[in-house]
Amino acid sequence: MGMIIAIISGKGGVGKTTATANIGLGIALNNRRCVVVDFDIGQRNLDMTLGLENRVVYDMIQVMDEEASLRQALIKSKISDNLYFLAASQTRDKTALDSLKIKQLIEDLSSEFEYILLDAPAGIESGYEHTIEFADTAIVVVNPEVSSIRDSDRAIGVLDSKSQKVKDGFDVDKYLIINRIVPEMVESGEMLSSDDILEILSIKLLGKVAEDKGVIDASNQGVPIILNPKSMAGAAYRRIADRLCGDNVPIEEPKVQKRGLVGRLKGMFS
Amino acid sequence: MIFPWNKKKQSANVAKDRLRIAIMTDKKDEDFPFLADLKKDIIAVVKNYTEVRDIDIKKESDGEFEALSIDVHLG
Ligand SMILES: Nc1ncnc2c1ncn2[C@@H]1O[C@H](COP(=O)(O)OP(=O)(O)O)[C@@H](O)[C@H]1O
Ligand SMILES: [Mg+2]
Repeated sequence: MGMIIAIISGKGGVGKTTATANIGLGIALNNRRCVVVDFDIGQRNLDMTLGLENRVVYDMIQVMDEEASLRQALIKSKISDNLYFLAASQTRDKTALDSLKIKQLIEDLSSEFEYILLDAPAGIESGYEHTIEFADTAIVVVNPEVSSIRDSDRAIGVLDSKSQKVKDGFDVDKYLIINRIVPEMVESGEMLSSDDILEILSIKLLGKVAEDKGVIDASNQGVPIILNPKSMAGAAYRRIADRLCGDNVPIEEPKVQKRGLVGRLKGMFS
Repeated sequence: MIFPWNKKKQSANVAKDRLRIAIMTDKKDEDFPFLADLKKDIIAVVKNYTEVRDIDIKKESDGEFEALSIDVHLG
């Protein structure tokens, strides 16, 4: 049985899809079979982040409606034989989702893969509820910013009341990724620190990812940043994936980058 | 005196305090998840007798007693 992990946030645009792509690839690079599923029905994004948008023929709604087989719809990553991707439907909307069919799909995936990552849509409406319904673990992505943190708390509230595992009397495991940390601002007291955020949300920390221009560059090219271990964000995602694979890697605090003379002069005037 | 340049440096602390309160308030609202349904039911009942424009349901508490105050705006 695979581990079913929903990547959630409440607020949109905080880095769920980026996290799903990178963590999925990181797990695959650890030689574990992993599938990433885009649950953002109507707003397919994960395909582009993974550079697989040209390979999509069938989507998950077609699989659930038995218009295509799972085998036909699963797309193998160009980078790792261990990573597969299942696309969201671009033409349907979230009302196309149905609990029984989702359950069946997830059961089928979990008999073939060790890790099943579900990229949730923004918000806490039905599309989100369906994403978390059969998850046994959730990765909560937040930015160090008030609205993201508040919304994530509400998303966690829904998770803790509506997921099947909770209804069966168990806890859903929850892990936090703090994304887009600007260490300079944390240092000067202008941005919430990781400790502040953990105190407010009180869930386990999985990783800290710095604000990194390389993330956009990577998404431009459809090559997840985890493949660039020299980048701050790439290295952070690598450690997160290793942690999920059971390695006991310590969590690193993003550090203030030392700048050259020109950078420091620029900093004086900004 | 609060100067903007003093305030800026402490804005993370301000954020933390505001968040604590906002999340506490959000949680209280979740204690009454039935409010939306209750509102719908009341509208349905009152409609049997007269036109209703809207209904306001507020939770009130003085620390000791909690009450629901329901305002029915007639249409
Ligand atoms: N650590 C980061 N540093 C810089 N930009 C980031 C980082 N993480 C995400 N982004 C950018 O933020 C935007 C939203 O990310 P995305 O993963 O699509 O969020 P979501 O899926 O939560 O809506 C994208 O443009 C992405 O490139
Ligand atoms: Mg997304």
